[in-house]
Amino acid sequence: MSIIRETKWALLELFPEQKATEAEAEVAAWNKIIADARAKAEAEEAAKAKAAAKAAEKAGEKTEAAEKAPEEAPPPEAAPAEETAPAEEEPVPEMDPEGDPPVSIEPESPRPLGVLVRDYKARGVHLDVLCSPDQVVEAAKLLTGAGYFLESVTGVDWIKEEQMEVDYDFNRTDGPLCRVVVRTRLPRSAPEVPTVSDICPGAGWHERETHDFFGIKFIGHPYLVPILLPEDADYHPLLKDFTP
Amino acid sequence: MNEYWRDILYGTKSLLIGLKVTGPEFFKPVITEQYPHFVPVMKERFRGHIELTRNEETGGSNCVVCGMCQRACPSSCITVEGEKPEGSKKKVLTRYILDFTKCSLCGSCVESCNFNAIQFSREYNLASTNKSDYIFDLVKRLEEQR
Amino acid sequence: MTEPILCTPDETFVLNLGPQHPATHGVLRVKLTMDGEYIVEAEPVLGYIHRMHEKMAENGTFAQFMPNTPRMDYLSALSFNQGYCMAVERAAGIEVPERAEYIRTITVELNRISSHLLWWGAFILDLGGFTPLLYAFDDREKILDLLEHVTGSRLTYCYYRFGGVYNDIDDEFITGTREFIKRLRSRMPTLYHDLVTGNIILIKRLKDIGHISPEVCRKYGATGPVLRGSGIEYDVRKNEPYSIYPELDFDIPHYPEGDCMARYMVRMDEIEQSLRIIEQSLDKLPGGPVQAKVPKTLKPPAGDCYAAVEAAKGTFGCRLICDGDKGPYRLKLRSPCFSNLSLFGEIAEGMLLADALAVMGSLDLVIPEIDR
Repeated sequence: MSIIRETKWALLELFPEQKATEAEAEVAAWNKIIADARAKAEAEEAAKAKAAAKAAEKAGEKTEAAEKAPEEAPPPEAAPAEETAPAEEEPVPEMDPEGDPPVSIEPESPRPLGVLVRDYKARGVHLDVLCSPDQVVEAAKLLTGAGYFLESVTGVDWIKEEQMEVDYDFNRTDGPLCRVVVRTRLPRSAPEVPTVSDICPGAGWHERETHDFFGIKFIGHPYLVPILLPEDADYHPLLKDFTP
Repeated sequence: MNEYWRDILYGTKSLLIGLKVTGPEFFKPVITEQYPHFVPVMKERFRGHIELTRNEETGGSNCVVCGMCQRACPSSCITVEGEKPEGSKKKVLTRYILDFTKCSLCGSCVESCNFNAIQFSREYNLASTNKSDYIFDLVKRLEEQR
Repeated sequence: MTEPILCTPDETFVLNLGPQHPATHGVLRVKLTMDGEYIVEAEPVLGYIHRMHEKMAENGTFAQFMPNTPRMDYLSALSFNQGYCMAVERAAGIEVPERAEYIRTITVELNRISSHLLWWGAFILDLGGFTPLLYAFDDREKILDLLEHVTGSRLTYCYYRFGGVYNDIDDEFITGTREFIKRLRSRMPTLYHDLVTGNIILIKRLKDIGHISPEVCRKYGATGPVLRGSGIEYDVRKNEPYSIYPELDFDIPHYPEGDCMARYMVRMDEIEQSLRIIEQSLDKLPGGPVQAKVPKTLKPPAGDCYAAVEAAKGTFGCRLICDGDKGPYRLKLRSPCFSNLSLFGEIAEGMLLADALAVMGSLDLVIPEIDR
């Protein structure tokens, strides 16, 4: 199975609602594929039967061909009941085609929490996760467990929306490429998010840097002192309302 | 003890190989440029500080004081001033100041110019202890070069 | 301000390495808690040349930030040029002409070799050998001349543009590059490998020193030769192909040992691979324009994108967030050495001070890029 699909379903553990709807959609899509394949098979079957009948007609053995056609018809009827039943019971990604999942439709703003599949060519990431601040640690655990490493942490100051954003970029070193960005939105007045430095120690420095520039507090960080700014700096230069 | 002798043996071998490599270099010509005695000529595309291009017909500058270079400069080190003489449609350049203390020689100004009015100079001997030496008046420079 | 030297009952004391120390290659201070000759704790202190490039990006237009990128990693400036260009091109949906991609590849690989050559010279200098530095600079000089011929500058190149390159390469550059490839190939086995790689002092200083396990690399997000020296075959050029790299035939050198010698060998082999890439690109170099039609003021649609390139030191990533204006709303520059250095504290524990300097050299630190 494609790594993007696998990671997507792993991350959907955090968002049960989206998981349920996505699973339903997947089942529907899968059913459609089955139905299409069956219809195609039936059409082929019919064409074959027709051709056989024609050939038989030519040979002048009408009776045998007429018997053959009804014989082959029953199996397709039995199949749908068999295959759709387990799929509805357990909507898991394993039932899926092998390929990458389709690109998600751009949601209207504000974007709901959940996982989006992005167009890699245009965005440079495959999966885009928006989660609540307390889900960040869980997401980091999921991703590091799945063989990802944290590439960078950064903040964004959305001053118009009175919000701050923290982005965590994940990447993997082995196997096929899959870049994941985990974002979370914090209130601008009290930007606080739990640290992930105990899961990925590399985040320690990145979080210190983000704290320097934006004043975002990483709760539980062992050593949240300025890293790039002077040690007595009490300003946060990347805030949009910062004046030197 | 065995390793001790092996190290000494290998060390001696390393030393001999090293001498074999570095020895011939000793007889090769000097590769460093003997700077004050030998002055290098800058390449055609060398990016020195900017200067005004001379218009072959008028002998003056091509500049029409559009201000594109001033806006393109990331460190705002260009100041262009011009005036419209009586009865003329075009603006005429009166002052072109380049604050070379802030310039990073990126060439954004040259690129932004649509009138081929500025170019890179080939100058590189620009050391000075006086800050005011780096405030270039390019109009003056163009006149002096004539 | 000088730190008082503390002699606690367990006989440890604090030693400041830097901020002005030849082995830190810039203004980096490492606060070492020592127990005699052994390091108990190492804490790098950064920010001495922090310039807030990311704020500068927000204040100007997209094109105005371009000259800032080579000032971060001045040794492989073109990689940083390319990373930023790719991010903006991705955001604005600009296609780069094929010839421009080839020129980018040739120049960026030349720049990678020059960066590795300088690292090689300076690293051996850290270990006490002076002669190799001069040989490396001799070869590097040839690259600087070649690049000066096309870009106009010798160190902080600002050569790439959104949708292409500033100007085309000419025959002089092509023949010069071919000559350089021949020259470096003939010099590599003797001047580089016979003199230094096989030398007993180098082997004693590097072999089995400064082990970095693949797990530590992953934990800290180390990339580039540090990661490949730990046996992980990861290179953005192969794993996340960009530009024309998928069309070229080259290998990713990687050594499983994880010690300083492995990182040394990775870089030495990379020089040869870069030569191969340049050779193939020169052979395949197509004609055509070197610059796509791009509006003078770029206004990419609102949204964000990420672009990563393999710089000489590791993955350089650019997260660009646009809000539909003329300049970036936010630009995050993920520099490779920042992550590579962050693992130093962990691996330096219990190490001899002299070995720690060898390890620091093997990480190939460029301080302006860490501090940004």
